[in-house]
Amino acid sequence: MRSRLYSRPERPTSIVVKRALSSVCLAVGLIASTQALSQTAGGTMVMIAQPEPPSLAPYLSTSGPIGLVAPKIYNGLLDYDLDLNTVPELAESYTVSDDGLTVTFALREGVKWHDGEPFTSADVQFSIMDVLKQFHPRGPNSFREVSSIDTPDELTAVFNLDAPAPYMMRAFSAYESPIVPRHLLEGEDIRASDLANNPVGTGPFKFVEWKKGQYIRLDKNEDYWKEGLPLLDRIVARIIPDASTRTAAMESGEVHYGAFGAIPNIDVVRMRESDDIGVTTDGYAMINPMALIEMNTTKAPFDNPVMRQAISMAIDRQFLIDNIWFGYGKPATSAMTSNFEPLGLYSATPEFYPESPDVDAANALLDEAGITADAEGTRASAVVDLIPYGEDWRRAGEYMKQALADIGVDLELRYEDVPTWLKRIYADYDFELNVNYFYQLPDPVIGVQRHYGTDQIRQGTPFVNSTRYSNSDIDELLAAGAIEVDPTARGEIYAQIQAILGEELPVVNLFEMEFLTVYNEKLKDHTVSAMGAYHSFDRAYIEE
Amino acid sequence: MSFWRRFCRNRSAVVGLIILAIVVLIAASAHLLFPEDPFKLVGQSMSPPGENGFLFGSDTLGRDVAAGMAHGARVSLLIGLIATTVAVSLGVLLGAFAGYFGGWVDDVLMRVTEMFQTIPSFIFAILIVAIMKPSINSVIIAIAVVSWPAVARLVRGEFLAMRNREFVQACHIIGMSDWRIMVREILPNCLSPIIVTGSLMVATAILIESGLAFLGLGDPNIISWGFQIGAGRTVLRSAWWVCTFPGIAIMLTVLAINLVGEGLNDAMNPRLRERT
Repeated sequence: MRSRLYSRPERPTSIVVKRALSSVCLAVGLIASTQALSQTAGGTMVMIAQPEPPSLAPYLSTSGPIGLVAPKIYNGLLDYDLDLNTVPELAESYTVSDDGLTVTFALREGVKWHDGEPFTSADVQFSIMDVLKQFHPRGPNSFREVSSIDTPDELTAVFNLDAPAPYMMRAFSAYESPIVPRHLLEGEDIRASDLANNPVGTGPFKFVEWKKGQYIRLDKNEDYWKEGLPLLDRIVARIIPDASTRTAAMESGEVHYGAFGAIPNIDVVRMRESDDIGVTTDGYAMINPMALIEMNTTKAPFDNPVMRQAISMAIDRQFLIDNIWFGYGKPATSAMTSNFEPLGLYSATPEFYPESPDVDAANALLDEAGITADAEGTRASAVVDLIPYGEDWRRAGEYMKQALADIGVDLELRYEDVPTWLKRIYADYDFELNVNYFYQLPDPVIGVQRHYGTDQIRQGTPFVNSTRYSNSDIDELLAAGAIEVDPTARGEIYAQIQAILGEELPVVNLFEMEFLTVYNEKLKDHTVSAMGAYHSFDRAYIEE
Repeated sequence: MSFWRRFCRNRSAVVGLIILAIVVLIAASAHLLFPEDPFKLVGQSMSPPGENGFLFGSDTLGRDVAAGMAHGARVSLLIGLIATTVAVSLGVLLGAFAGYFGGWVDDVLMRVTEMFQTIPSFIFAILIVAIMKPSINSVIIAIAVVSWPAVARLVRGEFLAMRNREFVQACHIIGMSDWRIMVREILPNCLSPIIVTGSLMVATAILIESGLAFLGLGDPNIISWGFQIGAGRTVLRSAWWVCTFPGIAIMLTVLAINLVGEGLNDAMNPRLRERT
């Protein structure tokens, strides 16, 4: 019943009047812009937040559901369009010095926090140095070269770097690095601050209420610094734990927007035939999720690169995509996602990433390397752990068990709860093969390096180098790639990295995952940025 | 009247027995009917029943649903039988001690039993499997742990009623040991309710196993009916056959076992039958 309350976009009488007026205007051939306005402003958008966010503190956690809600409340210094070009937000412009060691941001004038206080360069300095660099999961990495931030005046922030950090320029979105109010956090215990539950930002929507287990409500910020925006009057993020209920709510028009696979792929296949519902894979370019197998390089026979190569060759990546993810995905062709191509960083390594599986060649490789089969045709037995994030991964494990039997690798599947699994893989290293997925994020320094660097063997830290692969050549190349400013030279470094990793394969990539955003066709301009669902939605509107 | 004739007087029990016999036959000959591994991807995925050579269709990965059901029958029956055997043994042992000795032994054992009985059994089974890693052993243990209290209470009641009967007192007088009296004299006299309860418990065990597998807590390496339903649940609206046929199999089997149990009850307690 409650859901119905929020299902119908509220249409204040003024809109109705405007609509009536606009038709009159049209009829008499008057100003067309009035009509445009009447179509766009107003309305309530209902989106799915799944699962419920643990808090609304994007400066403490990168948890996905926080990212769905918080960037509507907070701004970043920059935004990124669908082609990953930077777009100004709180920063009107920025300049990087020739040596790459100084980045100067010119901040926007007249921006106010939701509580009326003015936004200044001191907020930027505090957010980066005292909050994100200290408490954010990826902040210490993104801003590791930032030694200090100078604030010569209220609207200028100068970042002083120890070394060039080109990757940092991709980390200024509202999701990745939100600018938080210094006047509410300074002197407080950042982790315990009430701001986590009552966020105050500079963004297009103000936080109103959070009914735990039901919904989060945000209302339009009337004083937003972008002229005429936001268009929506209200955003309601509904928490719907059951997948089939989410599908039903989308089909009935009760919700307008569900991202990050909120609607299961199998239902999307059916729903995309409908005229009322749209599907897009845009808006995930900053995330670049990659499905993969981590291989314990300290355990026989997976310490032998030939074994890893054979496994990579025997798996039918397209089969996984077609039958388990229902066509959404792209076979992996290298250690890095092909989405890095526009940055000039991607290069394919087809030798052990064949277009279609080559079981004969894989068997020949193993025979040649002296990994021979016993009387029952078994070369090796191993336990494969499956990421406990849902049924799809179990199906993937069941497929792999069959596929690898063809090259004589006998797999046993293990499926545990999340904490046990994390401990096994990243703290105890008590595994052989692990099916998993990683975000490669907007830059390899942030998303790829953590897989392969020797310094990323950090026992107890999840989602870093669990294979304990260590190669000094790779370490040197990764270090060089991180600080290289020239795009061509940087591309060459990463081509070398991919060539080595394409042979060594401590991690066998399976496919570039495509998350789906499902939306009601009435909702317009929702995916306008590389941030996708993690965007502010200031331009989104509902067409009646 | 012979046991068999009494059993046959209950028509529905005979139907149940026939269904059960068919299920057992299919389970026993699964490797002959479907020699391939039931997990093997054998053809076009999501084929409707009757197409591409699949009697009951194929699932999302192109596995034969019928092959899975035949091999799953084996697992479901086996888990039902083993778990019930474990639960009945445990229940009989504890119930017998409590009923025969009474006093503080009874108090302690019954309080323990009650403790187990107060926890909703399916939730308890989920908890046990979640704590241990999901495997066929942990599933059997979980089912046994949640099933024994009912048997213990039943056996205790029977022993309590018997221990003061004349034949037991006579045994005491001729100097029989307690153990011998319990096993040789009392137990055979309360076997029929135990058998009836046990047969019904097999049905419950199959249901619990299916429920666990449905929730993803089954052994990922072993196919069972619950596993098939769980795996097909997400595609219910586009491939109804993946979970429908295993579902029917569970329903028929559980129904058959219940009917047989009812028939056993009639045959073993003929006096009860006269009430109708």
